[in-house]
Amino acid sequence: MNRRFINKLFYGSSWTAVAVCCLVLIFLLLTITWNGIKSINIEFLFTASKNFGAGGGIFYQILGTILLIIFAAIISFPIALGMAIFRSEYLKNPLLKKLVEAFIYGLNGIPSIIFGIFGLIFFVNVLNTGISWFVGSIVLGIMIIPTITLSTYQSINSIPKIYRETAQALGFNRWQVITRVLLPQGIGGAITGLLLGIARAAGETAPIMFIATAFSGVDVPHSLFDPVTALPTHILALAQQATNKQALQNGWGASLVLLCIVMIFSISGLFTRIIFKTTTER
Amino acid sequence: MSALPGRVGQIYVVSATLISGVVILLIIVFLFLNSWDAISQVGGGLFTLEWHPPNGKYGILSMLYGSVIVTVISLVIAVPLGIFSAIFISEILLPKYKPFVKSLLEILAGIPSIIYGLIGIAFFSVWVRDFFALQSGRTILTAGILLSIMILPTIVTLTDDALRNVPVKYREAARGLGLYNYEVIKSALLPIAKGDIIGAVLLALGRALGETMAVMLVIGSIDKIPQPVFNFLAPGQTITSKLGREIAESAFGSLHFSSMIFMGLLLLVIVLVLTVIAQLYFKKEQRLYE
Repeated sequence: MNRRFINKLFYGSSWTAVAVCCLVLIFLLLTITWNGIKSINIEFLFTASKNFGAGGGIFYQILGTILLIIFAAIISFPIALGMAIFRSEYLKNPLLKKLVEAFIYGLNGIPSIIFGIFGLIFFVNVLNTGISWFVGSIVLGIMIIPTITLSTYQSINSIPKIYRETAQALGFNRWQVITRVLLPQGIGGAITGLLLGIARAAGETAPIMFIATAFSGVDVPHSLFDPVTALPTHILALAQQATNKQALQNGWGASLVLLCIVMIFSISGLFTRIIFKTTTER
Repeated sequence: MSALPGRVGQIYVVSATLISGVVILLIIVFLFLNSWDAISQVGGGLFTLEWHPPNGKYGILSMLYGSVIVTVISLVIAVPLGIFSAIFISEILLPKYKPFVKSLLEILAGIPSIIYGLIGIAFFSVWVRDFFALQSGRTILTAGILLSIMILPTIVTLTDDALRNVPVKYREAARGLGLYNYEVIKSALLPIAKGDIIGAVLLALGRALGETMAVMLVIGSIDKIPQPVFNFLAPGQTITSKLGREIAESAFGSLHFSSMIFMGLLLLVIVLVLTVIAQLYFKKEQRLYE
């Protein structure tokens, strides 16, 4: 009887915990959608912001965010891909393997604000680039390397040994095995990682707020070393003047747009994961 | 004929790995170099209570306290909630609903922290203010609650993975002994998955310590340890919120800037150590049970 009661209690606790989690999630999504949808219209999406964000739209913020994440992806993808191939196909020495793993997990663990500070010291002050969107892309790119590397590594490393051996028996050298056999099969993992990485980069504020963005008076950058304005930093500025009703309202609108951008990338990441999994397991 | 591309390819993959390694080293070296002024000139004065740059006071203890206490509050809320949820997902929920729940969790994990900050300002701080009848809802507790939601997906996902990695035969053996479900979980699954769960909590701890935007918006930004020490309804300051608020105001190369960088370095070291320990926990379990 007593054991049965504890068992029931245990089930009750689990149900409660899940219910709380679901309620929180529903609350978050509903709040963002409900508050955000009121701001969203064609004009809001396609005009520049006015009046320190309290008026106008978020056109240049959207453009800025897209620019930042595209270049972050271009910068980080080759590095992450190379690192994943190296870790999976070249690395045999256990000590080196540990070191490379430490690099990946270390880079993954570094708090985003530290990347911002590093960018501020290294690029803005030491290399004297000034506030620049390109520096922001580099820093975001560095930040998402581990996401892409881990996903790519998993998919390449999980390809059965027999594929490598068969290819070698056909006279392929190591690099040909990689480019002709492993990459075509493992590219799904790389794309999944890239999409998830972009989703992460799009929502980050702390790495770019000191080094890449200006709040007002910025439209399209004309050179590599111009500031941009981006959605997350725009929301930050609006959140800090939350007593102003109109600013807060525009903050919700910008949040919903940002969330949609993030979701587009993370959901397509999840889809590519499913799609590519079925093709390799077939 | 085909040796050259292979050579180039090898150089490419090695240099890609080197770049990542060099970046980590650069980050540590530059943070260290820039905090050296503070370490050499302020020294032990860094570990005092008062932060007042115009008077040359650079005590970071209030920020350190804030970071630790906010993290502790978030873990106290998120760890039980997360582990129970993970047990539900892994052991009670029918397998066909699992992908659905997992993708919901990924959505929760994908919400940018600045949006949590906005929700924190617009709702959580108002609720805390009204519930406790305070002057302002921007308190240590508010930041802790917000953080607990943000680290929940990490804990749930990793704990669920940990439980799923336990081979079915352990469950079957335990049920064969006539144990109730909760006893199976308590006496068979949790002890086996313990290492991975500890790793998960440590990773969540690292994330909580490093979280900036949401905390910065709701914590109130007062550089003081509240009186009495466990008054969580007072405003506070964490290392990250301090850095986020003040680094742009301090001149590069000044002692003020250097002290801020020292805080960043301290945070980095703590988080990296936590990450490494977490990985050790994950590794050890893999070797034992696979």
